[in-house]
Amino acid sequence: MSGVQPRPRGVHADQAFGLLAGVFVLAFSVAVLLLADDQQRVIDTNSRLQERTVPEIIRYQRLARNLEQLRQEGERIFAVSSPAARQQSMFVVTLIASHPSVLEHPGAAAMARETEYFLGQVVRQWADGRPRSAAQYEQWQRLSGRLGLQIDDVSVEGVDLASGELNQALAAMKLARYKLLIVLVLVGFFLLAFIVLVRRHLIHPLQRIDQALSNLSAEQPEPTFNTSRMLEIQAVEEGIREHHALLIQNEEIRRGLEALANKDGLTGLMNRRYFLQAAEMEQQRAQRYRRPVTVAMADLDSFKKLNDTYGHAAGDAVLRAFAEQVRETLRQSDLVCRYGGEEFAFLFPEIGPAETARLAERLRLACAGHDVPLADGRRVRATVSIGLADASECPIESALRQADEALYEAKRQGRNRVVISPPPVTNSPQENP
Amino acid sequence: MSRYLLLFLLALLLSTRVAAQGGQPAVLRVLVPTDAAPMAYHDETGRLTGFSVEVVRALCAEIRATCQFDVTNQDEFLDRLQQGRADLAASGVFEMPELRGKLPQANPYYRSLSLWLAGQDVPPGRAGLRVAVVQGSIQEDYARRQGWEPRPVRNSRELKRVLLGGEAQAALVPMIVALHMQKSEAFRRLGLLPTVLRAPELGGDVSFSISPRRPELRQEINMALDRIKRNGAYDRINSRFLPFRVS
Repeated sequence: MSGVQPRPRGVHADQAFGLLAGVFVLAFSVAVLLLADDQQRVIDTNSRLQERTVPEIIRYQRLARNLEQLRQEGERIFAVSSPAARQQSMFVVTLIASHPSVLEHPGAAAMARETEYFLGQVVRQWADGRPRSAAQYEQWQRLSGRLGLQIDDVSVEGVDLASGELNQALAAMKLARYKLLIVLVLVGFFLLAFIVLVRRHLIHPLQRIDQALSNLSAEQPEPTFNTSRMLEIQAVEEGIREHHALLIQNEEIRRGLEALANKDGLTGLMNRRYFLQAAEMEQQRAQRYRRPVTVAMADLDSFKKLNDTYGHAAGDAVLRAFAEQVRETLRQSDLVCRYGGEEFAFLFPEIGPAETARLAERLRLACAGHDVPLADGRRVRATVSIGLADASECPIESALRQADEALYEAKRQGRNRVVISPPPVTNSPQENP
Repeated sequence: MSRYLLLFLLALLLSTRVAAQGGQPAVLRVLVPTDAAPMAYHDETGRLTGFSVEVVRALCAEIRATCQFDVTNQDEFLDRLQQGRADLAASGVFEMPELRGKLPQANPYYRSLSLWLAGQDVPPGRAGLRVAVVQGSIQEDYARRQGWEPRPVRNSRELKRVLLGGEAQAALVPMIVALHMQKSEAFRRLGLLPTVLRAPELGGDVSFSISPRRPELRQEINMALDRIKRNGAYDRINSRFLPFRVS
């Protein structure tokens, strides 16, 4: 035989739910980090937009402004008649066409060079005294138109820079939104799983435990549980089973003690205290339903002499034999107790004194015809005197007193007989004038 | 309870006073060259103005400082900045190579190029040419390296005098100076033709020089410059003084 207890199979609730919480925190942290990454991308894009793209856009705007200035100076060259004004405009055209802001944009630089070259030729021709021609102005108009288109292109290029950055930011934000949805689903899933697991492994077992505790008693069968995976729940369930076993054990002990407290140790019959309680309840019931009930007092005849002659052990044997006769002769519903010494008290429900007398007579005859064997092999015979009284309409104490008086009468008349107490005398109006 | 309330109010009052003291505008001492139109000059009302001056004023407004201009010769810039007698030099009109290497520079506030102004018969490149240049400028350096004979001048007025007087056959000047000269009728009558010289050292970015004793100013100025370029203040100043965008 081994003293080692089998190791319970299952998991600790704190470990199981701690693991679940850990997985949740890990998954949530990863999701938050992914979200933070997207957020950082948006921030980076926005910073890039602020620090790099916006200045670039402004640079394109300034380039467009310079190209527009180039066109205006060209118009001015054709519009003014003063050579000085033309020279000044041509000077500005030269500066613009050579300025780094224009040169760094290939399309604008080419356009500016072409404009500078054309306007330079025109200015030189006019300075040489050549007349103005409509063809020159038409050529300038075409060039000016192309310059205008170049201005539009430069403006749009600047705006396109922002569009690209904004699209990137938008894409990052969209991605972040999808991730946020995934995070929400993840959180929802974990919460659902958590609730399901808590309900399944904690709440439901606790409810079953609560129900089992509510119904727990020695009269009920041992509670049964679906074995939980949680060691803590298993321990509580095992505790409840042990408690139930203890209740049953206590109940058995209580019943044993109750029996000892209510019975006479020698004869096994009721003791006087318990008899009086039971007899009173039975009499009240009979009186409530107006049913007949009779009490009796019995006493073994010459018991002192028997004791003196054969000893107390013989007396005890006679008492036990009488109790056995009582149990064999009387009905199960009849109450009987050892009232004291060799005196016994009876209560016979549902029958009046006349019927009770027949029953008592049968008992008396059984006793009178029964030899009680003693330990030393001798046999003795004891008779009994019985007094009866109607208990239908008087208190139990009063009825027992009347039965006792009838018993006394039976003794007086020579013992070994049954005497019925006469009904109480009621004074008629004629006798009590 | 009332004692705590009193202490709280006292602390609040002190913090307000400290904040008020801290909020007093700082003074920014700025060096500007004399007679350097259109970058720094006195207008008809006697008020100091010009592209560089107004940009500096806008920067001062951005950094909540009070500008204190000091109009002086450029050859004093380096010493005064190094000695901490000035915080900033708006010397961009005549870029000085000696300032570039020795002083912290803010981010560029405009981009320049150099022009060769001469008659049709004096193309750039011939050795021995007498070339008017601004004293101490990168153009003077370049002229010496090319084997020309530089005629250093200190301002636009001297430049005009040298050219009109025939002391110089040509001038090598920053575009801003050329623009200003072009407004002069007498200068235009000379019939000098502008030619843009593409040498890398003659063009490029122009910045404010900062005193080495105020290194923290550099970031402050750069950020303020960035802001005025975004909020339109810079472009409005550009339009007031120059015919096209120079940034």
